[in-house]
Amino acid sequence: MMLPALLVLVLITVLPFIMLIAMSFAKVRLLGGVSLSMNGFGNWSDVLTDPATWHSWGVTLLFFVLAVGMEMIVGTVLALILNSMRRGQSLAFSLVLLPMFLAPITVGLLGNFLLDPTIGLYSWVMESLHLVGAHQSVFGSQTTAMLAVTTLDMWEWAPLVALIVLAGLTSVSPSVLEAASVDGAGYLRTLFSIVIPSILPVLLVALLVRSMDAVRYYDIVHITTGGGPANTTWVISLQLNEKVQATAVDGITTLIGQSAVIGITMLVFTIIIANVFVRVLDRRGLMK
Amino acid sequence: MDKTQTDTGMARRTVLSAGLGAGLGLAALGLAGCTPSAKTSGSGSGWKQFSGTTINFISENTAPSAAIAANSKPFEDLTGIKVNITQMALENLVQKVKLDMSGGTSQYHVVYADPYQVLAPLSQGLTDLNQFVNDKKYPPVEKGLADFIALDAAGRFESKSKLYALPYDCPTMIWMFRQDLFDKYKSKMQADLGFDPTPSGKITWEQYYQIADWFNKNAKADVPYGTGHQAKQHDSLQCDFSNVLWAYGADYFDVPDIGTVGSQNPGKSTLTTPQALDAAKFYDKLLKVAHPSSTTWDWDGLGNAFAAGQVAMCPNWHEYAATNEKSLPGKVGYSILPTGPKRSANNWGGTGIGINANAKGNEQGAAWLFVNWATSPATQVMTLKSAKGGGTPTRTSVYDMAEVKKAEKRPSDMPNMLTASAVLEAWKPENIGLRPKVATWNQLDTIVYTNLSKMIAGSQDPTTTMQAMASQFDKVNG
Repeated sequence: MMLPALLVLVLITVLPFIMLIAMSFAKVRLLGGVSLSMNGFGNWSDVLTDPATWHSWGVTLLFFVLAVGMEMIVGTVLALILNSMRRGQSLAFSLVLLPMFLAPITVGLLGNFLLDPTIGLYSWVMESLHLVGAHQSVFGSQTTAMLAVTTLDMWEWAPLVALIVLAGLTSVSPSVLEAASVDGAGYLRTLFSIVIPSILPVLLVALLVRSMDAVRYYDIVHITTGGGPANTTWVISLQLNEKVQATAVDGITTLIGQSAVIGITMLVFTIIIANVFVRVLDRRGLMK
Repeated sequence: MDKTQTDTGMARRTVLSAGLGAGLGLAALGLAGCTPSAKTSGSGSGWKQFSGTTINFISENTAPSAAIAANSKPFEDLTGIKVNITQMALENLVQKVKLDMSGGTSQYHVVYADPYQVLAPLSQGLTDLNQFVNDKKYPPVEKGLADFIALDAAGRFESKSKLYALPYDCPTMIWMFRQDLFDKYKSKMQADLGFDPTPSGKITWEQYYQIADWFNKNAKADVPYGTGHQAKQHDSLQCDFSNVLWAYGADYFDVPDIGTVGSQNPGKSTLTTPQALDAAKFYDKLLKVAHPSSTTWDWDGLGNAFAAGQVAMCPNWHEYAATNEKSLPGKVGYSILPTGPKRSANNWGGTGIGINANAKGNEQGAAWLFVNWATSPATQVMTLKSAKGGGTPTRTSVYDMAEVKKAEKRPSDMPNMLTASAVLEAWKPENIGLRPKVATWNQLDTIVYTNLSKMIAGSQDPTTTMQAMASQFDKVNG
């Protein structure tokens, strides 16, 4: 009964994963069909001693903290606002969710358009508010480029956090909130003493989902900054892609083996992050 | 590199043929003898032999491909072959072609073979077109291979014995400037700067800098900045910088013919020569007076900014002339790029189209018919006229056509031809700029534009930048 499903699973996940591991220990040639010639730990040592790869990991971690942090805060605030609305909640909810349904590449293109210093609406607003100089692009400055791509990611994915948190908020017992109100607890006291603790498992799930995704961030940064300026937004996915595109001096051997190593390290990082969150949930008895 | 044409007809052609023959090593001249002279595409036999076949053509999203995609019906009527055209950014194309060639099958039968990012690293995945050129069962290449401009640079790698692609487009970097603003301010600028600022090959890069700076300080009412550059951390940054590098007498490698047929053994880089360091220092200085958004523009971004009146001048690919004429009709002039201590260098960005070696049977034949048709003079004239943006013909004969010559002056129904005199000058051997055709170019390209991006962002000084590039080049090339 389960066999067909297992076979499909093997085909689409296990075999490619095994291939990925094999490639990480091999020189990969593509022309005329994929062929591997074992290379020991050559790819691993090349990647692990490559300053560019470590730099891109640093950039990724910065993005990770900024993006996930902003998404959690903004998403939670959005959910609280939506939850408190008595009228028009459905309409507002639909509008808030819209960015989430856009392809990331579209978000990047939108960002390029809206933040274009010549024709971009957001650029015009920021220039009017003296937040940026005349004709300055936020994507062109080392100090603002990361913030810009992070904000675009937040714009797209904070709604997902809002959706998850909103689901959690509906589970907060009205009688408990009523009791807090009767006891004279203010909004902030109620929020931090009752609401947040009640939805903590949901918040951690949202954090887990977004964290796993943030490591793979690629589309928006690719289309907006290309990793620049001066490599300030060169995330690990761009580094991986760079290796995929590269060819060795013989014109035949690719550097896909090195990109496989980077892919595996990304996977390991994601697993570690996921495990940390799961342990936190488990320690607090929230996994049940 | 590529192109042709002029006011003096034969004289221009003679100059170009001689120039390309000598400077670009056009093996085409030698091959011409074994190429059957052809009639017109569409005439003769052999076009219908693969009727009913469907082929796929993958191309960068360039003006010629947009024009052909919008008007491929003549090919389908002529051959009965259905052609699907997919267009995308070059970096995505490279990835798709590489994966396609690795599969043993061919999803894409006709491939836009960028000489640096596709042809050099993947030449072994492309079919040698000589088998079709010399096979009588196929319609001959109209006017022969000798009619092509830059056949070696666009179509060969390492050896002149094999031909992997036929030249398909040939954008070249030239100096685009607001003629109306130069006319308006010429006398004042000349008085202030002490030289005639009229754009031409006589203007030095240092003077270009001074002109840009002058616009910044004296013409804000008309244009925000004097110069703009495609200085995003992207392939475009390397293209823009290369013009200056060559103008200063430096190069990436010191290997003969590395820009035409290429090499798999480029050896040590030459990016730390005094000339290279001077070029980097100047480029760093130039970018300091450029439009601040230059660091976010690739060629498209720069083209749009110029068309939007953001800069008075810029170096960009000549195929943007069509866009300029729509946005700034009659207001844009064209010249070869300024000269450096050594020469004027104008980056050639031409590309050929080739056939995936994995294509089977009828697909190969049908693909060849498409390659032959798409690069034929008649098709190139069609793309020149296209409202989709205009082509950049790769046939000498096209530039000699009366209607094409007429289009060199306004009003022109082939706006790209307004750049003809500049481009013709740019293609002369002494002015052409050819990037090194090596298998590792994708890696080297990234090294160049990443380090340059650090330099113009102020994170690295020019000397450190060039030293970093050189050491990384040498590491990649062993």
